[in-house]
Amino acid sequence: MWKKIWKNRLEFYPYLAIYLFWFMGAFLNSFQVRNRPGIVALGVVTIPSIALITLAAVRTFRELP
Amino acid sequence: MSGPAEPIQPAVARPSYDKKFGMVAYGLLFLAILSSTYLHHFQPQVLRVPSNTDVSTWKHPALQQTILWDGLTEEGKTTLLSKGVPLGDSIPALVFGDLFTIFLGWICFLHARRHYGFWMASCFLVGSFVFTGLEESLWILSGRFFGGMINNPLGEPVFGSYWFTRGGLWFLETPIVACLGWFFIAYSCVLTAGKAFPRMNLWGRATVGGLIAMTIDLWMDPIQTSPEIMAWVWGKGDFLLLFGIPHYNFIGWFLLIFLFAIFWEKLPGMEAGRGRHGATVRFFLIILIAAFAVLFLIWCWLYVFGAVLAGIGIESTIHVPKGW
Repeated sequence: MWKKIWKNRLEFYPYLAIYLFWFMGAFLNSFQVRNRPGIVALGVVTIPSIALITLAAVRTFRELP
Repeated sequence: MSGPAEPIQPAVARPSYDKKFGMVAYGLLFLAILSSTYLHHFQPQVLRVPSNTDVSTWKHPALQQTILWDGLTEEGKTTLLSKGVPLGDSIPALVFGDLFTIFLGWICFLHARRHYGFWMASCFLVGSFVFTGLEESLWILSGRFFGGMINNPLGEPVFGSYWFTRGGLWFLETPIVACLGWFFIAYSCVLTAGKAFPRMNLWGRATVGGLIAMTIDLWMDPIQTSPEIMAWVWGKGDFLLLFGIPHYNFIGWFLLIFLFAIFWEKLPGMEAGRGRHGATVRFFLIILIAAFAVLFLIWCWLYVFGAVLAGIGIESTIHVPKGW
């Protein structure tokens, strides 16, 4: 599986970009915020988006030759 | 409305035109970035760039007129006044932020170039960069130059809009981190929408793409504007704050990605009717006009929605949820 992903890595770049953006811009930084109780929990609002991005990445993988 | 989606076919390469287009588009963009960066860092008085080190000098809005101020503890206020914006003058942080975003933008551009060809990929990159950079700069500069002159429909003063505190390279008054961020967010979200809902038409894909991005920002904006990070600062003036963020920000996130996806996906049709050069000119004219139209639309929304709230007896800013 990993060999197939690596061989076709370019197909996953957009998903990687948006994951990294979400992970570094929101997820990691949320732990730095002290004056807003519940800011980490607010992350649940992004679950549908992350689920769709994951679904799209899985479909891309399945469509690969 | 169009029927279920046909995947966009890659534009046929026309090396002589594509080369000229690339040189003009990227050349102009490079010049705009170079001059904006010079103005921002070396002539900050021209566009009244707020200081990162002495926050007491902020005007339109002043520090006390920002949403940030209300969320600060007494200790936080003292720290901010004495130390300034966190990492505000850290060159390594600026360089890392710019390089990381350029990397994410570049890998998305590679994907777009393989699937849609150089011309379409470049129209997406340069188009989204200019569209969002111009839109953000219009909001930022209108707040900075006209802040405090008007009241919102509830009768409260609009002290300003917002601004970005950090950035190495700039396009107008928007850091390229934000412009390139818009590029790869728009590209990834619309691609995701098409992959997740393959039978959906263009309008559906654009809507889902806009909603994916807006949902991510619903979490990211309160984090990035917190006193610990302060990547950008909001002025007071909106009458509805969602998680401490003006609600028009989320309308803007949705609209920018929704509209850009539609304009870009219309490119092959424009090319069929007007040729590649005609399509390019029309595409860039549309996005320039659209940047002003979005500003106008959101202002209309703010006045109509605000008037409705005032009409039903709301007298001061609504905070959803309370305490944020």
